[in-house]
Amino acid sequence: MTGFLVKRFLQALVVLFLVSIIVFVLLHMLPGGPARAILGPKGTPQQIEQFNHQQGYDRSLPTQYFMYLKRLFTGDLGDSYRLNSPVFELLKQRLPKTLLLTVLSTALAVVIAVPLGLLQAVRRGKASDYALTGLAFLLYATPVFFLGLIMIILFAQVFPVFPAEAPQGESVGELLGDFTGLVLPVVTMAFGIVAMFSRYMRSAVLDNLTEEYVRTAMAKGQSSRRILVRHVLRNALIPLATLLGLYLPTLFSGALVVESMFNYPGMGLLFWNAAQGSDFPVLLGVTLVVGIATVLGSLLTDILYAVLDPRIRSVA
Amino acid sequence: MTTTTAPHTAPGHEEAAQATPSLARRTLQVFTGNKLALTGVVLLALLLAFSYLGPLLYDTEQTHTDLSQANLSPGTEGHLLGTTDLGYDMVGRLMVAGQTSLEIGLAAGLLATLFGTVYGAVSGYFGGWVDAAMMRITDAALAIPAMFLLVVVAAIITPSKGVLILIIAAVAWLSPARLVRGEALSLRNREYVQAMRMMGGGGARAVFKHIVPNAIGTVIVNCTFQIADAILYVSYLAFLGLSIPPPSADWGSMLSAGITYTQNGYWWLIFPPGIAIVLVVAAFNFIGDGLRDAFEVRLRK
Amino acid sequence: MDDMEEPGGAPAPLLRIDDLRVDIASRDRTVHALDGVSLELAPGEALGIVGESGCGKTMTALSVLGLLPPGGAVTGGRILFDGQDLAAASAPTLQDVRGNTVGMVFQDPLTSLNPTMTIGAQVAEPLLLHRAGIGRKEAWARAEEMLRLVGMPQPAERMKSYPHQLSGGMRQRVAIAMALVCEPKLLIADEPTTALDVTTQHQILELIDTLRETLGMAMILVTHDLGVIANRVDRVAVMYAGKVAEQSDVRGLFARPRHRYTEALFAALPERAADRGTELHTIPGLPPSLTVRPTGCRFAPRCSFATEKCREREPELALSTEPAPEPGAESGARPLAEALAGAAEEDTERPGAGHRFACFHPVPYGDAPAEQVVTPPPAAATEPGDVLLELDALVKEFPLTGGPFARRRGTVSAVGGVSLSVRRGETYGLVGESGCGKTTLGRIVAGLEEPTGGTVRFDGRDLSGLSRAERRAHRRRIQLMFQDSTAAMDPRMRVGEILREPLVIQGVGTRADQERLTAELLDAVGLPRGAVHRYPHEFSGGQRQRLGLARALTLSPDLVVADEPVSALDVSVQAQILNLMRELQRERGLTYLFISHDLAVIRHLADTVGVMYLGRLVESGPAEQVYAHPLHPYTRGLLDTVNVPDPAAASGGDREPLRGETPSAAKPPSGCRFRTRCPFAEEVCASTEPPVSTPNGAGHQVACHFPLAATRLASAV
Repeated sequence: MTGFLVKRFLQALVVLFLVSIIVFVLLHMLPGGPARAILGPKGTPQQIEQFNHQQGYDRSLPTQYFMYLKRLFTGDLGDSYRLNSPVFELLKQRLPKTLLLTVLSTALAVVIAVPLGLLQAVRRGKASDYALTGLAFLLYATPVFFLGLIMIILFAQVFPVFPAEAPQGESVGELLGDFTGLVLPVVTMAFGIVAMFSRYMRSAVLDNLTEEYVRTAMAKGQSSRRILVRHVLRNALIPLATLLGLYLPTLFSGALVVESMFNYPGMGLLFWNAAQGSDFPVLLGVTLVVGIATVLGSLLTDILYAVLDPRIRSVA
Repeated sequence: MTTTTAPHTAPGHEEAAQATPSLARRTLQVFTGNKLALTGVVLLALLLAFSYLGPLLYDTEQTHTDLSQANLSPGTEGHLLGTTDLGYDMVGRLMVAGQTSLEIGLAAGLLATLFGTVYGAVSGYFGGWVDAAMMRITDAALAIPAMFLLVVVAAIITPSKGVLILIIAAVAWLSPARLVRGEALSLRNREYVQAMRMMGGGGARAVFKHIVPNAIGTVIVNCTFQIADAILYVSYLAFLGLSIPPPSADWGSMLSAGITYTQNGYWWLIFPPGIAIVLVVAAFNFIGDGLRDAFEVRLRK
Repeated sequence: MDDMEEPGGAPAPLLRIDDLRVDIASRDRTVHALDGVSLELAPGEALGIVGESGCGKTMTALSVLGLLPPGGAVTGGRILFDGQDLAAASAPTLQDVRGNTVGMVFQDPLTSLNPTMTIGAQVAEPLLLHRAGIGRKEAWARAEEMLRLVGMPQPAERMKSYPHQLSGGMRQRVAIAMALVCEPKLLIADEPTTALDVTTQHQILELIDTLRETLGMAMILVTHDLGVIANRVDRVAVMYAGKVAEQSDVRGLFARPRHRYTEALFAALPERAADRGTELHTIPGLPPSLTVRPTGCRFAPRCSFATEKCREREPELALSTEPAPEPGAESGARPLAEALAGAAEEDTERPGAGHRFACFHPVPYGDAPAEQVVTPPPAAATEPGDVLLELDALVKEFPLTGGPFARRRGTVSAVGGVSLSVRRGETYGLVGESGCGKTTLGRIVAGLEEPTGGTVRFDGRDLSGLSRAERRAHRRRIQLMFQDSTAAMDPRMRVGEILREPLVIQGVGTRADQERLTAELLDAVGLPRGAVHRYPHEFSGGQRQRLGLARALTLSPDLVVADEPVSALDVSVQAQILNLMRELQRERGLTYLFISHDLAVIRHLADTVGVMYLGRLVESGPAEQVYAHPLHPYTRGLLDTVNVPDPAAASGGDREPLRGETPSAAKPPSGCRFRTRCPFAEEVCASTEPPVSTPNGAGHQVACHFPLAATRLASAV
């Protein structure tokens, strides 16, 4: 397994390097270049020129990239000129909250999707399978913000059981303390994922049911329920780890939309507000951090997969 | 005939091979058997007719605003679904917006599929270092969630229809690229490709005569999903504040304009465009799912 | 309970299948897979069910435990096991029988074990399910004991292993342990050794034999392999098109088959061919598709004895003790079963007792089947010509990669220095078990792989010295015929395009020329010219192999490398293809490099034989000589291991089957690669590579320090 892990780790490093290049390129695509991005719209031409010289932005691109990397390693992502705070500090505060939202809704989605997919597979071709498949597609086809809107109208306006706005705590603990406020954002985001996961579970269980080891299990005298739980479910669930890794970017995208819908104080909202106000240091800083989080996250799920699947665990 | 054996092999005595129906026919068969796929086709046809034939039958003013007619509720005379905040007739607006959404979705989906297919086929066929390098690039591009990338790009560029198509295609091509690359990797090791190489055939023949025709099913299926996703992207872009400025409209921009009035109870500004998006995206997904079944059945044989 | 009152107080059978009917429904058609199958099995008895693919043998086995595939259903008949009708049993009842009183072993040990569960958990599972009082600990202890019983080395450690860490043979041992851990009264083995190599196959069959004796259980052995069935069972049922065609004790069946189908099936075996030079007897055509119930005898369309009567009425399975009378239509299942029980009781001593068959024109008594049929003309002996292909110290190593940047972590020695020469016009048979390097060697000759070392000379020229253009032209002269024509033909191309492709690539002729040649080739391989408009999947396995041969011949090659071209085919179809290959060789002066694991096929077809083991050519020489007087202990062991489809031959002689498993090609043993399994190995075998010698005269080479002496052989053969 070490060979696999080392290889995967090196791959992740290469990808991180490429991510930093993409963000660097974006930085240079900005109108007025990085100087405008960092000084903001109020910077005069003289200030810009001086800044460019000071920061080395008049040197060759490779040198600039090198300097950019060096700043990254010291945690210098620039300052937000709307919030008057270093981007690094802002991210340190917001990232955990976004992770909380993502983890809670993913967990909820898995808890709903696994039995749902299993049910669909067992009822394959029956009316309930068709109904659930149709429903899953409809859910998948619904933009998350439309879903959120429906949630708000239903559960905050028509039947006011949950607040339409997320809690505004400073820390993760405070957020958890105000649990009713978390319900709508978490459920909205989970629903968006349920469709994908239940679809996967259905086909994974169906695939596994045609495997010969299922027939062997039957020949031992096991009930279908036991075969499903003891044999099929395990084999269908293991690849779900990789699927989670693959869907990380989608999850973060979903978080961006949900956070701005419910005014949830995470990274997505920070990003959205920055976009409204052309706060480029924040935009690029968040983009970079989300990219890094995705790379590390998918590395983690791949390791998890390797640990769970004996075929990878014990070979090479 | 007194021996138990035929002196030679028995040509023509083997059971006549069963003729199977053509691919198109078989696809049609499976398709009509799949109720969801059929639903998808009907839905799509209805939405297309609504968007393109609708304005011919139901003529409304969709260029000039009329604020005196703003936010009329459904049922107001002459306005079946009421009017928007700028006084456009809702039904007429939905028709015009549908054209934009469908066109951007189709164009972006096709463009992404085309580019992704070529990229993936090249990566998979050459393999080795070329493949590793090309795939790390897609990994990196995938690592930055599409929505974040779109917002940054939106902050830099002013949108038009063409720009939206390009932006969406630029984030959407990654999934067909990975898919086709996987297909190409496995197809190039198939025995019939080896057999062809043994006859002295080269790479171009392998790609165009064998690999592409055998991967086409995957590509077509994925293309329908891409179109669906592209239409979703259009709506997300509008939600994030990036849509073609009025008087143009798409369903996404109508929906996000409606969000502003959630508190006012102007439901007719929200649900019609929202449902339209859900229906069209679901329709393409149903069709893609049906096509996948059709292709798989054929390949299983 | 009515089945207990057998006439004459015969012991109640353990299993009685009565007029069983099974339908398999799929999307657009229904196959009547079983159409009135009746069988009986006494406690402790071994019954073999044999037949070609699609005859219903596996469906019979699966239906006993209610394990039919999706769409499959029992539509009639009874399956009485221990007085209980399993065909009508409820799910809990069936679950109670499965794995408990009836154990089952499946064909493919690779896929039939759960990949993510430990061996121990899987073997212990039936105990936990069926033995109420047994806890986890005791179940594991018993499972370990069972693993020891099935010959698993280091069973305690293996309990914690996963299936992919074991070899195919070891996995099949696990499957057997799983089936037997509850000590069932009946073991059903569905092609248990078909996916395994000859030596492993032998070991597994021996193991089943031993366990059957130890545990005193009955067995149903389902196989297509007449060699396996001849040596391992008491009675045999021959199935054809969803019905039992003939049923007898094993010696009686092989000594004098009565049904014309059985007779023809035996005659198609390469082992039964009168002489190496003769053509094989074939059965024309294919079995019926079973979507509609055929009228009359199901074999009639392919039978040369068929009369109007055969085509109109269906013969009943009847005893052969009296000359078969016109079977009345009123004879139902019940009197039949009684007759069988009675006959089995009284006539166990006489050969042919209880011998039943369903044929209006059976093979008459007193006639040995092989003499009865007219021997076809022998194939013209080909005069060996000059050397066409010469391999010199050919080496092929594959890197064993893993870790970052595909770091090289070792090599697999697929071909470890092979020298051989093939003469123009001959058939060179290359034989060996899987992993011996025979396929890699064939692919190098065909130009699909580049050798790591050594030279390939073709028609006197070293191929590595060819220019690009010469190489392209050279491609025409050697063609490969694949084992699996389905995989070797583009599913999206029509047959016409597939056959023309070599000509298009090589730029031979105009389109009209190409089409004419294609048509001629279809004639030559016995397919209708209209085939050009069809897709490969529309043809049967045998027809596709004809297409594969036709494509190999389009460029008029000198040499055809045939890699296991018949191993996926049924015996009767295999005979057709082998005859066709021989016929085309005679007509076109072809040279074949014929690669196979099947000793009988090689013996029938080859002029010269090369035996490979773990990347080395251990012995080569004229076919008759190698088979009659093998010089290498491996060749000898291989010949002793093979299941001869003749129960009389199997029991006699001092056979010394091969033991152990082939070592990994990543770490081949030093010196002689066979030494780890060789009964005669000494120190020198480990230190020095064996020299090539010719103790039996020139032309018969062996690479061994201690070649078998001629005297030893004389007594053995």
